[in-house]
Amino acid sequence: MILGIETSCDDTCAAVVTRAGEIRSNVVASQGLLHERYGGVVPEIASRRHLELIDAVIADALERAGASLDDVREVAVTRGPGLIGALLVGLSAAKALAAARGLPLTPVDHLHGHVVASTLGPDPIEPPYLCLVASGGHTFIARVDDLRAHRRLGGTLDDAAGEAFDKGARILGLGYPGGPAIDRLARAGDPEAFPFPRAAPGELDFSFSGVKTALLYAVRDLGEREAERRKADLAASYQSAIVEALVARTRTAVEREGIERLAIGGGVAANSLLRERIAQAAGELGLRLWVPDFSLCTDNAAMIAGAARFGEPIAHPGYLALDAAARLEAAA
Amino acid sequence: MNVLGFDTSTAATSACVLRSDGEAFEVAPPVEALAAPPVHARELLPAVARCLERACLGFADLDAIAVGTGPGTFTGLRIGIATARALAGASGAELRPVSSLTALAAGIEAPLRLALIDAKRGELFAALHDERGVRIPPLAARPEGLLERLRAEGLLGAEGLLAAGDGSLRFREVLEAAGVPVAEPGSASHVVRSLHLCRLALDAEPTPPEAVLPDYLRPPDAKPQS
Ligand SMILES: [Zn+2]
Repeated sequence: MILGIETSCDDTCAAVVTRAGEIRSNVVASQGLLHERYGGVVPEIASRRHLELIDAVIADALERAGASLDDVREVAVTRGPGLIGALLVGLSAAKALAAARGLPLTPVDHLHGHVVASTLGPDPIEPPYLCLVASGGHTFIARVDDLRAHRRLGGTLDDAAGEAFDKGARILGLGYPGGPAIDRLARAGDPEAFPFPRAAPGELDFSFSGVKTALLYAVRDLGEREAERRKADLAASYQSAIVEALVARTRTAVEREGIERLAIGGGVAANSLLRERIAQAAGELGLRLWVPDFSLCTDNAAMIAGAARFGEPIAHPGYLALDAAARLEAAA
Repeated sequence: MNVLGFDTSTAATSACVLRSDGEAFEVAPPVEALAAPPVHARELLPAVARCLERACLGFADLDAIAVGTGPGTFTGLRIGIATARALAGASGAELRPVSSLTALAAGIEAPLRLALIDAKRGELFAALHDERGVRIPPLAARPEGLLERLRAEGLLGAEGLLAAGDGSLRFREVLEAAGVPVAEPGSASHVVRSLHLCRLALDAEPTPPEAVLPDYLRPPDAKPQS
């Protein structure tokens, strides 16, 4: 069994996954509410909270898997990218656990975890495939020919999609995190009420700063009362602009690469409009689509343990000096 | 009792194994390490492995793990404590938290030991120990604030007073001008030695791992939006 640990942002995560890709447990202690009143993740607060939670989360993951440390054959941990102070809590715990038991340790690229999340469970995706990862921290399209690595085809040049949702929600006074709030409100609104721009910076790249500015201006031009009255329309139009951009780019990538399997991942994959539109696009293009369970889309340690199955474990004691990295070299 | 101890409260990473026969195997960093960028993640476990190897012990032979709980650099403390808790959990050893300031004070050779850790942003973490124990418990203050406290206690210019630690190196001029002597620049007493940490741990209470957290002594730097 592989014990996975992930602390790259504001969720403290541990999971137990088998070599065959069966998820025995997947525990996430979310800090979302803790950061709500700051309007975003505060790195020092996140790091403090990770340290408070990490041991209990690991113990919980083992217990739910019906396992003990004696059953663990390998430890997998997120090495980056992410908040350095947060990463170091998980990495330190993982290295120490592995060292005390003489176990191998596999450092995992967090983004690769998202990309291979659909390889877990009873119906694993197989390469070659494309994956759209959209979350609060990252938004990119990757191609996978070999599960050991992915190739980034394009990505956001400024904000991540989830970040755009958060900023939009703040402009609309909806609180944090913004994605679910906008999703809910948008159901009562007209997605074509406001023609927000769908920026197209490069063939497969994204930019969400323009649509955010457009929303800000729209709210300002409407005035407080009118903006409040048309809040649902604003939310629906804003959401639609972001989702259409994601889907359009994914379509282009699929057509250009000529690949028949598509997966989505990241917290934004929970967005109901994105799910609907990507499924629609997959149908039109004759693709098979993998949409993992929500618990595998948001940050989690099962995807990290899962990715470790394709990585190279470092035998004890080769990893004792391993450091975390806020940024990793782009996967080749 | 075999004790493994380590401290990551300053930029220097120190570790030590105090074997049950009383023999110590220590990685004591040079004073220069206090001024270098901290790399605890890279240094800590290799230092621990070196101490264990020299002591001919494995993790399973450890009875207790002592960890410096600060105050000090936040990230460093978290690396040290996350490591200590996981090692204790996986090896079955007891966990014994020790104040980094107490360990620092234990290395100062004077009757009135002023332990000072650089708190950055112009502040100091400080504690004063005398022969009977803690006289001023850990606090965070600007040098002026600390000097005022010492004056109020009648300690400025007091005989037998000596300061050490990276905080005393940083504020040497201010301190000496006010009547607080600072240990020589190259003195090993400026480093939080894990040998002292291990010895202090012999008398410390075992603590459940989840209860071992850093003594931050300062709230996070963040303001709520509303
Ligand atoms: Zn993520």
